[in-house]
Amino acid sequence: MFVLLAYGFAVSVEFKTITAGVAIFLFGMLSLEEGFKTFTAGTLEKILRASTDKLWKSMTFGVLSTTVMQSSSLVSVITISFLSAGLLDLASGIGIIFGANLGTTTGAWLVAGFGLKVKLSSYAMPLLVFGIILVFQNAKSLKGAGYVLAGVGFLFLGIHYMKEGFDTFGQGIDLAEYSMTGYPGVLVFAGLGIAATVIMQSSHATLVLILAALAAQQISYENALALAIGSNVGTTVTAILGALGASANGKRLALAHLIFNVVTGAIAVSGIYQLMEAVGWISNQLGIGPQNYTLQLAVFHTLFNLLGIIVMLPLLRALVRLLEKVIVADEIEIERPMYLSGASGDIRDAAIEATRKETIRLYDLAAGVIIDGLSIRRDVLESDEKIKRVVKKSTDIIDEDIDELYEKKLKALYGAIVEYVIASRGGYSKGRMKEELNTIRQAGQHVIEAVKGVKHLKKNLTKFMKSDNQVVKKEYDRLRRQIITVLRDIETARNAQGPSRSVLPLDQVKLDIEEKTREFSHGLDKLIRKERIDVQIATSLMNDISYCREICWDLVEAGSVLFSAYDLEEKTALRSVALGEDDIIEIMEDSKTEAAQ
Amino acid sequence: MNYQKLLNKLKDILSAKRQAQLEKYSSLKKVLKSLRAEQKKMEMELAGDIDDETRREITSKLKVISKQRKKGLKVLQELKKERDDER
Repeated sequence: MFVLLAYGFAVSVEFKTITAGVAIFLFGMLSLEEGFKTFTAGTLEKILRASTDKLWKSMTFGVLSTTVMQSSSLVSVITISFLSAGLLDLASGIGIIFGANLGTTTGAWLVAGFGLKVKLSSYAMPLLVFGIILVFQNAKSLKGAGYVLAGVGFLFLGIHYMKEGFDTFGQGIDLAEYSMTGYPGVLVFAGLGIAATVIMQSSHATLVLILAALAAQQISYENALALAIGSNVGTTVTAILGALGASANGKRLALAHLIFNVVTGAIAVSGIYQLMEAVGWISNQLGIGPQNYTLQLAVFHTLFNLLGIIVMLPLLRALVRLLEKVIVADEIEIERPMYLSGASGDIRDAAIEATRKETIRLYDLAAGVIIDGLSIRRDVLESDEKIKRVVKKSTDIIDEDIDELYEKKLKALYGAIVEYVIASRGGYSKGRMKEELNTIRQAGQHVIEAVKGVKHLKKNLTKFMKSDNQVVKKEYDRLRRQIITVLRDIETARNAQGPSRSVLPLDQVKLDIEEKTREFSHGLDKLIRKERIDVQIATSLMNDISYCREICWDLVEAGSVLFSAYDLEEKTALRSVALGEDDIIEIMEDSKTEAAQ
Repeated sequence: MNYQKLLNKLKDILSAKRQAQLEKYSSLKKVLKSLRAEQKKMEMELAGDIDDETRREITSKLKVISKQRKKGLKVLQELKKERDDER
């Protein structure tokens, strides 16, 4: 591929301009995605969710945004980046695309009715300047907004270069040369419409070209309609280009866009004569003269897109299923809640159980991330193999991106839990329910904190796992063992059945954590005294012992809430007996005094 | 059962708050009872012929249980006081 590109650059200047345009365009997509990621679980997500949670809403969103921006391509690429950032789901995205197809027809009305032409590409430079200034700001939201602005700027700049590169090809298009009648003419002109839109990167530009050719009587009315159909299909190329670097959902959306426009185009081509009659009738009703072809073209554009929506709407679910089958996700998808959506926040038991189940899901996902972070194989919790042995054998570093897993899986899910708890508390819920939901939410917070701790611990762990210093390696293995032991103890408490199922055995784990931490610290002091490790490593180890302790406590605190008894009264009673950090320290102090005596 | 006791019983049944307190009280009592049983079982095991490692483990568990019970009894007393104050 590199050789081909190099050859292309050597022989053609236009090729260089076009490929540079594609590269800038794709860079714009990356920047846009990066920017929208900042707003995940924030205000933008809330606004988007509220305005796209129902099909009619997402379609209206598509119509309105395309009408305002006057570019269905821009709306579709932005929707793709929304999807890639996890701000939208696929069905809502498709709804927006359906709406955008209808919204784009307002362009035909504006051009035909008022001769108005909105040229967004002139905004590319100011957008880039403002965007990059914002990217250098420290505030996360400003930085995010900067990436979005710069992204849109790069998209326009990329499109501009692509257009420039294709200009020479575009100049060679003389529509009058191809004038034909009947179905062959319709097909040829539809093909020309596709080609012209791909080349000019704008269905609006094609539309202007059609209207000019129609006014100059270079082409017949029938051929003009076929061109409009083709242009509608050709416009999807921008979305396809935009989906190249997008997530699986982004690619699915681009394919949905293509399918919708091809199906709509096929319907329009096959029923072009019937549609012409319908356009004639509607135009008559609207008072558009029989010779006013430009406005009739606008009617036609709206009509066949509307027809496409009517045909495709009932097939939406099937389309989503098909797309999910055809394009399989191989990257980390944004985690969505499984239990919260179905439960009513106002029914006490349902709300509590849904929140608990969802937080257990969060815990399980986090446990996986933690085990990966410690570079230990995932089945360690189910196996009976001694932890010491498992850790000793686990010498290869598992290079999972904890940050990405944290952002896409855990943070998104925890955000949904918090949102649900707040909404439930705002309803009819009172007293005990509020208290219980809050306790579960706090358990979720402990889970998140544990993962954050592992993120910190991993830095030194991966560094020292491959170190020649066997003493340090051994110390880090002990920390790994400690966390896995706690995870296994929680699993045992979780799987306990009958009357023994309670949170209280986890208090023993709390005591073990404190005793082990004390043991680690004493061991470290000894190593420093004997000069077996240098001070720098000792400082790192000291911090990591503290991280290890916090991770273990967070996990146990979460486990105590999540795997407690089912009965609310029993749960409350058990919690009032469960030991806290101070109680554990008291036990240890008492033991120390006893030993001294 | 004298008149006052009967009246208290009736109050307990009729008041939702008291009912909740009562449920809390009896649940805690149940938990404490099972903890006591577990403690006794461990004390018996400790009195038997066991190796040092097991002895250490049981002693540690006993310390935890005794602390849990201590904490629970304190809460139970508070609940009882709260109930008596309202009567």
